[in-house]
Amino acid sequence: MKTLLHHWGIPVLLVSVGTAWSAPITFNTALPVHEDGWVLRGQFIYDNNSRDPSPANRDVRVSGLISVLGYGVTRDFALFGVLPYLGKRLDMDMGGQRVSRSDQGFGDLMVIGRYTAYESNALGRTFRVAPFLGVKAPTGSDNAQDGLGRLPPPVQLGSGSRDWLGGAVATYQTLDFQVDSQLSYRANREANGFRSGDVSRFDVSLQYRLWPQQLGSGVPAFLYGVLEANLVHAEKNRVGGTRDGNSGGTTLFLSPGLQYVTKKWILEAGVQIPVVQDLNGTALKNDYIFNAGFRINF
Amino acid sequence: MTRFWRRAILALGLVLTSTSAFATSQGYKLRVDGLACPFCAYGIEKKLSAIKGVQRVEVDIATGIVTVTMAEGTTLDETAAKKAVKDAGFSLRGFERAQVGAPTK
Repeated sequence: MKTLLHHWGIPVLLVSVGTAWSAPITFNTALPVHEDGWVLRGQFIYDNNSRDPSPANRDVRVSGLISVLGYGVTRDFALFGVLPYLGKRLDMDMGGQRVSRSDQGFGDLMVIGRYTAYESNALGRTFRVAPFLGVKAPTGSDNAQDGLGRLPPPVQLGSGSRDWLGGAVATYQTLDFQVDSQLSYRANREANGFRSGDVSRFDVSLQYRLWPQQLGSGVPAFLYGVLEANLVHAEKNRVGGTRDGNSGGTTLFLSPGLQYVTKKWILEAGVQIPVVQDLNGTALKNDYIFNAGFRINF
Repeated sequence: MTRFWRRAILALGLVLTSTSAFATSQGYKLRVDGLACPFCAYGIEKKLSAIKGVQRVEVDIATGIVTVTMAEGTTLDETAAKKAVKDAGFSLRGFERAQVGAPTK
């Protein structure tokens, strides 16, 4: 039982930290937050993982409301705070019966700073490159228990560790379409004898204006069709300092979506579909991640 | 007497209407580079509207032209406009005066 409990291999919630502007749904953008301006993003996510190669027949579902508040400190430097409210549930076969373990509440707070290092503007288009650095503070509960004892790491709301995120995002935006590309690395640290594997990501997003086909005067609302790809590689978890051979691996998501963009707000929805999953051992595979939300300028 | 008052009120109304219709405010047309989506327009409007004397800001994202209407008796300083556009995250490429008709209130 101990082995089963430790062999999670369940992907840590692949929550994007999408920030502001008409932008990718599943990751960041290099577009600016105006100086002294605020952007609020609310995002609902539902992450389903039920394809279990092991006999435990595990099923992990995570739903959450993720709030992102962005502030333009200067025209080039923006700060983002990300706070998730999560509901996590694990169902699995154990000792001949089906058991459920769950928790819900606020997760770990992440703060990200992003700096626009390069920009080139022309009529109706812009190109920008912005590195970013973030830290995740262990604000969520990491020692929740139920009748079976301490909840396993994937069901805990927080990791208990202070983790680091770094990377760079590039954006090319025209009146007709937008392309974003991001490279990022998340270094996870150990807490409570468990350390999630570090995560490397490469993301690409294309947003194409579907409506209106011809631009009128003023500031018309845009409907974008969105297609994104997320290549995510997670290293093996460490349990008590030992690598877990049934965790980590590489997943490629394709993520179609829609965005309705106005001057003041954005509505958006998309689904991340794992088209390739090359995971280690009996690591639990993902079914899909659905996300929908809004952004407000103020 | 009644006819007199009717004529007086009519004359006053005509004067006020014509004043309103033909009053013009000083306007400016700014060419802004980097504007490429509706969400971008908000920051430009907010920053320019914060300049003293600015009465109205209209963005046309297809042309990248931002029309700024000033209150009567005020002018828009190019340096201030450039800073506002820059703080919004964009670049000012053109700045010119333009007559903008606007009803006074």
